[in-house]
Amino acid sequence: MENKDFVVFIITHGRPDKVITIKTLNKCGYTGDLYLVLDDEDKTVDQYIKNYGKDKIIVFNKKEMADKVDEGNNFDNRRTTTHARNACFDIAQKLNKRYFLVLDDDYYYFGYRYETGAKIIKNLNNVFDIILNFYKSSNIKSIAFSQGGDHIGGFSGIKLKRKAMNSFFCSIERPFNFIGQLNEDVNTYTILGSRGDLFFTFTNIQLDQKDTQKQSGGMSDAYINSGTYVKTFHSVMIHPSSIKISMMNSNNPRLHHSIKWINTTPMILNEKYKK
Amino acid sequence: MKQINMFGSEFKDSQDKKYTNKIAAPIYEPTGEKPHILELCDKSKTHRLIKEIDASSLSIEEKTFLIDAARRHNVFNYEKIAEYYAHSSKEMQHLMERSALVIIDFEKAIEYGYVRLCDDIKKQYLEEYGE
Repeated sequence: MENKDFVVFIITHGRPDKVITIKTLNKCGYTGDLYLVLDDEDKTVDQYIKNYGKDKIIVFNKKEMADKVDEGNNFDNRRTTTHARNACFDIAQKLNKRYFLVLDDDYYYFGYRYETGAKIIKNLNNVFDIILNFYKSSNIKSIAFSQGGDHIGGFSGIKLKRKAMNSFFCSIERPFNFIGQLNEDVNTYTILGSRGDLFFTFTNIQLDQKDTQKQSGGMSDAYINSGTYVKTFHSVMIHPSSIKISMMNSNNPRLHHSIKWINTTPMILNEKYKK
Repeated sequence: MKQINMFGSEFKDSQDKKYTNKIAAPIYEPTGEKPHILELCDKSKTHRLIKEIDASSLSIEEKTFLIDAARRHNVFNYEKIAEYYAHSSKEMQHLMERSALVIIDFEKAIEYGYVRLCDDIKKQYLEEYGE
């Protein structure tokens, strides 16, 4: 990669034998720095070390991170990816890396997405460099790849959506906090987006992951316990003026957030309109 | 394979331009007249909540908190706000920017950066698949 000050973090918990994302990154030609980010409450840390080597594992203090963020409920548990995502800013700083990408552990595909479908990326190093060059060019908080759900009903076209879910290009120079125990990505891009921070999803690149409620470990149990109602309702509480709960019709129909974008993010205007 | 499989037809100059035009940068283009300022924010739910709060027997402090919280239900219409901005005085524009009611794309950094992003990804795709 051209960008030597870049690192990939895979946040993972309780799935030492199923970190699919590593294989997928390798298959797609990624050769840069990579670490697995685990919390100190994970009972399988030793197995991760055995599987991937101590030098690839970073363990953070989950309680310490939890104390810094509004979890949006009083459940008094730390079953969340929020703290791992937030910890990545400090971890990157300690590694002396300016830019980083936070990924989940269950991606089986990174591809180019066009009208005719998706094709696997063979040189992910170059793709990451291209995304980073755009990221650096303006004051963007975070950029994400699109997911299958962004193209329900067909290819959405090549665009930048005003959201960022699941995968996050970030910089230690543009820090922000993920908010809430559940649905933290939606909570974050809506509340911070409404205040003028820029979050984008680039639909020309797509990742795919295993179904949220079908994998063991990770957050699956938390979602199965409450359906997705509680998860989704966190976002309604955090940004009630533009988020509702609705039904997402897919292979796995479930409750999901529905965002009214015209009421969520300020428009970006060409400078010519400024007097 | 040729590019025909990716974009539906083989690239020629005009088609390449057509493809480029499909790339939609998230820049809003004001088109209308200046909306009335009361159109920028729908406060109906907030007013309903405040009415209930005012009618309650709670302390002033509790009422004040609940009224602050009720304002979370103000629904801002950012398209109308952008239209309003385009027609506003310099002072109003400045304060709208300070409150992040619009985002100004200075020197087209986002727009140009985005076009380059799409071009570079397209080149990378063609390099890998030679289509």
